[in-house]
Amino acid sequence: MSSATSNIPATAVLRPGRLLSHPQDWHCILFHFFCLSAYACAFWLYLHPTVASITGPWSRAAFVLASALVLGWISGIDVGVNFHNHSHRPIFTSPVLNRWFGRFWTFSGGWPSFFWEYCHVTIHHARLLADDDWTLPKHTPDGTFENFQRYLFTHWPWRISIHLWKDLTAREPLRRRSLRELAIFLALWSIPFWIDPVMAVFLWAFPHWIANAFVMNSGMYVQHAGCVPKTPANPVSHSTVFVSNFFNLTMFNIGFHSEHHDHPRVHWSELPELHRRLKQELIDGRAHVVPYGNYHAAFLLAGDAARQKGFAAQDTRYKAADSD
Amino acid sequence: MERLARAILSRTGLVFGRSFFPLFAIAIILGAALWGPWVSLGATVIAIAAALRTI
Repeated sequence: MSSATSNIPATAVLRPGRLLSHPQDWHCILFHFFCLSAYACAFWLYLHPTVASITGPWSRAAFVLASALVLGWISGIDVGVNFHNHSHRPIFTSPVLNRWFGRFWTFSGGWPSFFWEYCHVTIHHARLLADDDWTLPKHTPDGTFENFQRYLFTHWPWRISIHLWKDLTAREPLRRRSLRELAIFLALWSIPFWIDPVMAVFLWAFPHWIANAFVMNSGMYVQHAGCVPKTPANPVSHSTVFVSNFFNLTMFNIGFHSEHHDHPRVHWSELPELHRRLKQELIDGRAHVVPYGNYHAAFLLAGDAARQKGFAAQDTRYKAADSD
Repeated sequence: MERLARAILSRTGLVFGRSFFPLFAIAIILGAALWGPWVSLGATVIAIAAALRTI
């Protein structure tokens, strides 16, 4: 560990007598509570259409589309960023509470918590950019990522289900745990279908597809597009760093992605401080730093070759002195 | 007193800032009861376009 990170706690310290592992973690709970509240509001208005001026199929379609888009957006953040933090540093001091809160966390993003944790921690973090990191886009023969849209539409749930099936059924203890977690997930995830199956398709399953395909998948793509595995020669070229203040404020500092991969146990609220300390190392190591967040990066990478070139541009504040 | 007020304001800002997107979603969904579903859809499309262009 470099001197820049020596003062930052390396592990989640579980202090007896306290509910939360870190004082800032209540923001994570509040965020998830707001997300579930948003779903509850959408369900209630769908079931009481006159309150929302829904008078026919077209106004119902407008309500469903608006709701599904924003629900998908926040679910993508809630699982892909908010729960993601929990998977690295559990937010409660109690392991039982961590496990059960996790189950009630990811079901509103279309995931069993154990499956998501397995994909992210066991596969993505442990094998970052290696050939067997199947959470990332496939590589083309020239070493670049496959087409952006292809990854978005084929990865979740299709490819990921196949990989999870192969991995989680390979060993007996893992198979048993996976089956249990899948059963708990299905029990929770099916609740809206018991209330109103049509509503559940449009305001539950459809937002989960948006959350995974457009929010989480595009996030994974832009965070590592154009990057190379970590080596002594390229220590900070494995991830792109997004330094937009608004993006990081609203996305639990996930923009500091290179720092997060190198120090995954550093708490999300401490990443801006870690970034400040590592800034010179990032500049010297020629890390790819951009002044916006994931969303604009996705817009650039989803475009033609000219628009994609915009993503390669470096933030002027992070240019090495000898670069042109 | 002023320092305390600033601290409270800063913390409140942080809470609302970090929960900006879910609060926005709630406003869009519940807002349909005030201004109707078409305005909510329009606001959502504008918000997505703005996010893709700026952040």
